[in-house]
Amino acid sequence: MGHDGEAETKTVECRRLTKVFRRLLASREKSVYALREVSLSVQRGQIVGLIGPNGAGKSTLLNLIAGLILPSEGHVAVCGHPARSIAARRGLGYMPEHPVFPGLYTARAILQYHGALLGLSSRAVSLQTDRSIEQLQLQEFIDRPASDFSQGMKQRLALAIAMMDDPQLLLLDEPSNGLDPIGIVQLRDLLKRLSSSGTAVVISSHRLGELEKLTSDYIFMHRGRIISFADRIAANRAGRLRVELVSNGPDIAARLLPASRVLDASDTELVIAIGDPEEVPDIVSHLATDGARIMSVLLERENIEEVFLRLCNEGTQP
Amino acid sequence: MRARELIQETFFRRTYIWIVHVIWLALYGVFYWLFLPDTPELGQFIFIWAGFFLALALSAGIFGDDIASGRICVLVTKPFWTGELYIYRLLGLSLQAAAHLVLAASLVLVLHAIMRKGSVDNLGVWLLASWLLFNTCAALSASLSIVVTRAFNSLLLLVLIVTGYFVMGLLTMYLRHEASTGALASFIRYPWPPFELLYKFAAGEWGQYALTVGKYSVTKNVACVIHSLMLTTAYGVIGILLLSRRQFSRVRD
Repeated sequence: MGHDGEAETKTVECRRLTKVFRRLLASREKSVYALREVSLSVQRGQIVGLIGPNGAGKSTLLNLIAGLILPSEGHVAVCGHPARSIAARRGLGYMPEHPVFPGLYTARAILQYHGALLGLSSRAVSLQTDRSIEQLQLQEFIDRPASDFSQGMKQRLALAIAMMDDPQLLLLDEPSNGLDPIGIVQLRDLLKRLSSSGTAVVISSHRLGELEKLTSDYIFMHRGRIISFADRIAANRAGRLRVELVSNGPDIAARLLPASRVLDASDTELVIAIGDPEEVPDIVSHLATDGARIMSVLLERENIEEVFLRLCNEGTQP
Repeated sequence: MRARELIQETFFRRTYIWIVHVIWLALYGVFYWLFLPDTPELGQFIFIWAGFFLALALSAGIFGDDIASGRICVLVTKPFWTGELYIYRLLGLSLQAAAHLVLAASLVLVLHAIMRKGSVDNLGVWLLASWLLFNTCAALSASLSIVVTRAFNSLLLLVLIVTGYFVMGLLTMYLRHEASTGALASFIRYPWPPFELLYKFAAGEWGQYALTVGKYSVTKNVACVIHSLMLTTAYGVIGILLLSRRQFSRVRD
């Protein structure tokens, strides 16, 4: 999500985005700052997870990129064009959190409707529909009214709509809502395939475990600000080193390690706090050189949920 | 393709729409059957039911439903001018009304052929007036639907129009010579949906009687039709501006 990628590979670029919601006739003090000076870019083929607690500004950021709302300050560009312009929308596929479809339409009719809105010819719409049916396993449901669909089926259909005409950017708001485990795996594989073919994907999701299997690029948001780019902290992701010893764990810990880094010390095991994984060889070497008889070493890194909680806690500190 | 889909959607978007058409047509039949079916009475009935109430029923929530459900967010991220969404939907409503009025005319003519009651001589003029009124009411209602969520646009329009005419009626009755009454009457007559002007147009209340054209004045009738089309355009332009400028966001997360 770099700031340093080349301009031509940037699918999304946000510069100092601020969004203030103000009720009609309300005073300035009652304004809600949904986003404050957010800057980021998403490269071609990159999958980015937007993470944050409720009210962090994730959906506002997605809406700004989709051009659904206008920034109070700052600038958003999609595929090099200002967001909300027709040129920007040409490369955009958007999937809302709760997709809704008109009552009498079958899934096929809905795909044809959206294909027509994209300006595709009837032949292209037909091809796209067939491809979506195959990719998202819609065969069984394609001629049923979409109003009868379960949440998971609605999600699949909404994803099929977002993916029509191979967009350069996919914006997905909680895409795995209501999907069964098979659907989630299919979704993951599909997004990875799209990404490898150059589509940038921005996902807002609370399912951190799922997100972790899909990407290592996260944007952590808190109170309208980006509090960390996860790719920057990935190398420094906090973790624990479990060192299995023959004996004398507490003694070795007291002699060789600063107390603040020892999380636990039993006779046969030491648990050591690790900031940077690159420290591990040095620590192991230091322990072994100074007499510790090491049986095994296991590095346990924080999973994305733990990182999320830690960053939220840090973000709430004064 | 896009135009066709957006026009068709105005009919298929809600299940109740075809039921409204059927009920309205049945009402015309019942009216013809039970009451004196001379053109003015029948024309007035169709004028109000098709020109006003049908417009309210068909345009209820035409954008408000999509805005309330969040579906509009998907529609306005598609690569076309947002105004097209408004124009084709309004066109869809207008075409539905035209088809509805053709069916209404066919029904009345069939009943007239069977029952031989009254006269249907000026039915065509009443149908034209009804269609023009429908278009203005539908355009105003569709524009309201962009700022009023769900189907409250129709309810609001009904309240506004009924209140407007009620207040004007009261003022005309009790304060006929006040300048403000004249100003309000002009306001109700010209920028509002042209009930009065189109009624006079259809009922032939303008001009002098002539053997060839009855009581119709060509100039005034043409002006009346143009006025109605201009109002439809003006309401439409307001709607397009509102839709293009409006920000759509369901959640503030």
